[in-house]
Amino acid sequence: MAQTPMAQTQKIAINPALALVAAAAGWLVPGLGHALLRRWAKAIVYFCAVAILALVGLWMRGNVFSSNAADAFDMLGFLADIGNGIFYFLAGTINPAGADVSKAYGDYGTRLFATAGVLNLLCVLEVLQIGLGSKEEGPAAVPGS
Amino acid sequence: MILNHFQTMVIFALAVSAAFAFLSKNEMNERIRYAVWAFLAFLVVALGLGWLMYPFSH
Repeated sequence: MAQTPMAQTQKIAINPALALVAAAAGWLVPGLGHALLRRWAKAIVYFCAVAILALVGLWMRGNVFSSNAADAFDMLGFLADIGNGIFYFLAGTINPAGADVSKAYGDYGTRLFATAGVLNLLCVLEVLQIGLGSKEEGPAAVPGS
Repeated sequence: MILNHFQTMVIFALAVSAAFAFLSKNEMNERIRYAVWAFLAFLVVALGLGWLMYPFSH
């Protein structure tokens, strides 16, 4: 069956080294990996989504897990939080008061910050897929178009 | 500024549904439709579960 131009999909092969660099950049600064691959709309949306969740989570005094985890759940929390990249490293600067999970408010913040991290990890995986040419995308998303 | 539970949930639903729409759909029309659908689904499910658990809080 014939496809309309907008419905057509194609695989885009890009330098694997660039894909790895873009993935690392995307982890450090949410959306930067997509920006390096010239997916501007995705870069903006992912940055805004991750930044809003991470910042609101920190302002709500959510807990930020450190690498010296006491148990498996803390380790899972750390793995989710580290996905935030720059927001994880700047957590102490963004919210100098630190975490307060004695109230439900702080607990919501913990969840939001972890969600932001996991969301950014999904975006990093997508950067890798696009960079390695394993994700089919419409012609509108071709670099340089 | 203190956000209540519902406002926090709305922010969560907005951010996650927008990101999911761009992760899973290619066309802008599809993305908008998916984001709206996911956002409303987040709210409806959360409110529904909230009301289901309401009797246990008394």
